[in-house]
Amino acid sequence: MEEESTSQTTTDSNVTDRIKLNVGGKLFETTLSTIRSGGPDSLLFALSNRFSNDPNPVFIDRDPEIFSVFLSLLRTNHLPSTARRFSKQELADEALFYGIDSHLRNATSPPPFSGIDASIVASVRPASEGLSSTFTAAENGSVWIAHGGQLSSYDWNLIHSATVRTHLDEINSICRVWPEIAAVGTESDAGLHFYNFSGSRHVGSVHWSDPSDPRIFKARVNAITASDNSVFASFDCPHRENCILEVDKAKLQIVSQLGRQSGNQAKNMVPGKLTFVPTTGVLVGSAVTGGAFGYSGYIRVWDPRSGEVVWETNEPGAGRSSRFGDSFSAIDVDVEKLLLFKLCSKSGDLAMADMRRLGDDPWVYLKEKNPSLWTDGGDGSTSSVVNCYKGQVFVGRGGELEVWSRVKEVVECESERDRESDGEGVYRRNFVDKREDSEKGVIVKIEGGGDRLFISREDVEGIEVWESSHYAGAISVL
Amino acid sequence: MPPFAGSHPVGVFRSDTNIVTIDVGGQIFQTTKQTLTSAGPKTFFSTISQTSSPYTPFIDRDPDIFSLLLSLLRTGNLPSKAKSFDLQDLIIESKFYGIENLLINSLSNPSQFEPFNLQNSLQLPLNGRDSPSTVSTTPYGSLHVAHGSKITTFDWSLRRKSTILTHFTAVDSLLALSPSLAAAGANDFSGLQILDLENGYVKDTLIWENVTKSGSTVQAIGSSPENMFVSFESSRRNSNSILVYDLHSLRPVTEIAHNEIYGADIDSAIPATKLQWIESHNLLMASGSHSGPSGVSGNVRLWDVRSGNVVWEISEKVDCFADVTVSDSLDAMFKVGVNSGEAFYMDLKNLSSEKNSWVCLGDKRKVLNGKKEGFGCKIETQGNQVFCTKGGDVELWSDIIMGSSNNRIFKKNLMGRVQDMGGAKITNLAFGGSRMFLTRKDLQCVEVWQSSSREL
Repeated sequence: MEEESTSQTTTDSNVTDRIKLNVGGKLFETTLSTIRSGGPDSLLFALSNRFSNDPNPVFIDRDPEIFSVFLSLLRTNHLPSTARRFSKQELADEALFYGIDSHLRNATSPPPFSGIDASIVASVRPASEGLSSTFTAAENGSVWIAHGGQLSSYDWNLIHSATVRTHLDEINSICRVWPEIAAVGTESDAGLHFYNFSGSRHVGSVHWSDPSDPRIFKARVNAITASDNSVFASFDCPHRENCILEVDKAKLQIVSQLGRQSGNQAKNMVPGKLTFVPTTGVLVGSAVTGGAFGYSGYIRVWDPRSGEVVWETNEPGAGRSSRFGDSFSAIDVDVEKLLLFKLCSKSGDLAMADMRRLGDDPWVYLKEKNPSLWTDGGDGSTSSVVNCYKGQVFVGRGGELEVWSRVKEVVECESERDRESDGEGVYRRNFVDKREDSEKGVIVKIEGGGDRLFISREDVEGIEVWESSHYAGAISVL
Repeated sequence: MPPFAGSHPVGVFRSDTNIVTIDVGGQIFQTTKQTLTSAGPKTFFSTISQTSSPYTPFIDRDPDIFSLLLSLLRTGNLPSKAKSFDLQDLIIESKFYGIENLLINSLSNPSQFEPFNLQNSLQLPLNGRDSPSTVSTTPYGSLHVAHGSKITTFDWSLRRKSTILTHFTAVDSLLALSPSLAAAGANDFSGLQILDLENGYVKDTLIWENVTKSGSTVQAIGSSPENMFVSFESSRRNSNSILVYDLHSLRPVTEIAHNEIYGADIDSAIPATKLQWIESHNLLMASGSHSGPSGVSGNVRLWDVRSGNVVWEISEKVDCFADVTVSDSLDAMFKVGVNSGEAFYMDLKNLSSEKNSWVCLGDKRKVLNGKKEGFGCKIETQGNQVFCTKGGDVELWSDIIMGSSNNRIFKKNLMGRVQDMGGAKITNLAFGGSRMFLTRKDLQCVEVWQSSSREL
């Protein structure tokens, strides 16, 4: 993944293109285009404009060694190995000073996440009450962790940046509303609450209330998701009456209510997972309960504009399923590719449905062709989690982490593509982890962000961070 | 601003036009045109050496690394102070100047292979739970490792890796065509796939149209400087063949060793599971074996690819080979016996003579003990040495040149230090650049043996 080199070499000497810098007493010489590649807002760009007609070098009173790292970065788009002498924090601070932090981020961010080639690079552990109850990852690779009643924010370098103590005892659901504002909910207390990291304060709360119905009180939040303008949260009351509230992101006020139901059966209990699909503007909710008689639950797709249910399926018992008695134990939505994935509780198989062609039985079951990977998985006693990230499906079964990834097809002829387009055969299953990783604890939550995969395990402090790397990581055994 | 300000006039050296002055990131370097042109034609340096501008050329790159690369241009080797730099930085800079091949030559040249100085020095970890099924190397030390349905490629410096997903559940034969291209096949999957390992897609699929119209599985892949040889077996296992492809265009050239199996002719039902080109004789060695209730039997054939005829063959009934290999420089064929686990050799000089047979290098008495001590052992040659694996150990057999006597003497050493002995069983053995690569049963890593003086 080498990027195009931006450095200019002038064999015919265009002198006016060159610039001399004196950083902390050390002289550097480079070209204007290199120094300006940091972007028009950077300090270096500003300096280059100011002194271009001055024969004396521009003096910058900073550490020359870090500057030489950044000069290499600007020349080659690659962080030299000398950068390892400095801590991530030092580099980030200094890059911010020169205004080239986005350059540094590009050079240090991991390559596209590939589940078939990933390893644990770090474990993010909050200093106190380290058992994470839930967490959420962002596009830039930063993560917010809820632990105890605290919310901790870790930036893209995975360096701790802020902690907010909330009024809740335990946070069970979390969602990123704005870059600094989190929406949180708990199973033990009522309401949806908004907290701001900058200033670390409570900025608002939303409660489900219905003046006409006295049964609606102390409604707790079970799941939260956000669209561009709204936050959707599923609430349920002690009487199991439940609904989804749409909350305006800017005003933090309730806009509408959808999918209200009584909750007296498995097929109308509160959704435990909500996902908003931006490309089609629909909301996908699902609920799963597991008991002595196996799993049951539903997947429902709402159109929030009309409040109508667009599609739904209940298991067990939804008519024409080809896998009767093998109801799902976990589901997730691939928001980019518009695919639904469910994990069958009995067989352990993964099934896929195209959200653009949902019908009576839209499921395509992905087959495991490798006999050594067949699992009995069947008794349904292991807890399982499914998460889609970067076109791959990550499945946690107990402590084991596996990935289903699509094999790149050779585009030979149209008929070949049609045959494979149903998804069978083009997905391959592989273990992401080693056997010893799987013994650490049962996987509770998987989420990807910024080409990282974050994993939390039952009764394990902190969350694991998995990344792919082009670095071979050879271990010397001499 | 005067036109000459800031530049360094080269007037002082004008009398001697052979000296070139370069300004790299603010530091002045002087060298000769010869040094610069040694980088090769059409590189960045050769254009600099040809310009006759009165200004000093300015290169906006790191001067410290440039000084190392200039030493490399001057002497062909990196100076010792390069040890304090990361090789990855040097590679990136050398790519910029277009002289990566000089760097590869100085650090990972097969001529620098030192068989007696190899030590277990690195482990390359593989992600996931699959242990390596097969490995393949390029002459300058890039390494492809197949593990499960994945192929991981390490570059020649063993610093960078990339992994792709294939259609195979497990890759059984792999041949590196270049650092970014490999041919892969499996015993349970039809067709040979030419894989682009950089971008992870199938560039081409080669299949053998057999009579039964069933799939064609790949049993072995080999190559010569011009051709690629693929041993196919039909999925119904009733015919097999060796196809010869042009190595560059990948078009089929000819087909040799086509067998259709009728009746109980066991020998013809054995497809070749190892193909090796013998450059000095212009012959292709094809070997295959079959394990049955009466023991292991097999055959080794030498094919003249042009005529499609078998030049020489041997059938193995007693102590059949577990693995067999040919060495050009030793002009001999080596096998490790499946029963005895001992290494044997046979001179290629007098193949035609009737009394030609295997000469045991080790303990001859073990031949008939009926055990399978050599099962799964590998034998490979590199230079004048023969490497034979036995369980978790590697035996190194050297040809002792005595001058007077006609009998060849081979002597054995065990490779490695005490802590290297008795590891898990070795499943693959390969050589690339100046290194030896090993994989072991149930270990998700590749062991790299290199000589300490060549440490990267």
